[in-house]
Amino acid sequence: MPLAASESLIHVSIKAETLFTIGPLHFTNSMVGALLASAILLVASWWFLRRAAMVPNRFQTAFELPIEWLAGIVAGSTSRWRSYVALVIGLFLMILIANWLGLLPGVGTIGLVRESEGGKELVPFVRPASADLNFTLGLAIITFVVFVWWGVRLHGPLGYLKELAGEPRYMAPLMFPIHLISELSRLVSLSMRLFGNVFAGEVLLATMLALTTAVLFVLPLAFFIPAIFLGLELLFGFVQALVFALLTMAYITLAIAERQGGHAHDESAAAAGPDGAPAPAHA
Amino acid sequence: MAKREPGSDRDTPSASGATPGNLGIAFDLGIRLGISVILGLGGGFLLDGWLRTSPIFTLVGMVLGIAAAMYTIWDVAKNAMRR
Repeated sequence: MPLAASESLIHVSIKAETLFTIGPLHFTNSMVGALLASAILLVASWWFLRRAAMVPNRFQTAFELPIEWLAGIVAGSTSRWRSYVALVIGLFLMILIANWLGLLPGVGTIGLVRESEGGKELVPFVRPASADLNFTLGLAIITFVVFVWWGVRLHGPLGYLKELAGEPRYMAPLMFPIHLISELSRLVSLSMRLFGNVFAGEVLLATMLALTTAVLFVLPLAFFIPAIFLGLELLFGFVQALVFALLTMAYITLAIAERQGGHAHDESAAAAGPDGAPAPAHA
Repeated sequence: MAKREPGSDRDTPSASGATPGNLGIAFDLGIRLGISVILGLGGGFLLDGWLRTSPIFTLVGMVLGIAAAMYTIWDVAKNAMRR
């Protein structure tokens, strides 16, 4: 029976809850969140493509300004920025919408009430996608594949393996696992940071709401205290999306820059202008 | 995606110091140190469970994890100084 939660608001499951199953596929509430975020992005893209004006109004400027700012940062990274700017901005927008979706009224608080071992518990219809490790790990795997692909593209498959083996060659049995762990730590850190921050935000909001509505005489606080934390979550959602996007850019930049190895000085000199001044940061 | 001749274009990142990308890497460094040790330890623990050689690979994994954490610091510092 669908209803709003009251006594079980403080319950926030660490894993996404299954709403229904189709054969072997478990359709979870975080999948609903991810689909909603994708739908919002698609509709917004369609709307902006139709309505975008050469001389933007205030509304258009409000949306274009942060994207142009991020594109400017990516453009300053390497000369090949056009190859990955869409990925970085796409990741930023997807994570931002997925994070902010959790702040909408009803998300996480309206769902099905199910019987469990500890009594009744609420299974929300929608859960912010970033509060599910599967979603954040999926995004991190995309990033990982892209920056490894850049490394393989610039070094060649054998050259990339040689990079992992390190120098001198007789140290390869020791250096290979160390390099491997170091590379894998990027994948884990990207996914765990985003998941940890968004999930902690969800728990914090649920706790604050439950605490302020628990006793009748503090009921007026229920309107103000969660509002403060909602404001903070708006900021954290933006910062986390930005950190993920910028780290993606930084890892790709490093994969491209590492190709130079010991020839960095020569190529820098070649890139410098005739008077010795460095060439512009990007083409 | 158009293919380019390697070296035909400038591949160095911008040399503007504390860029947002650099700041991101700096913030990322702390969490990567912990994760490197956990990955080494976890990998060694799994290998020990699989090969029934406990605690050899757990210890080796822990040492490799700590070494990977130190290598990560050195790698980040090296890349920052190169730029």
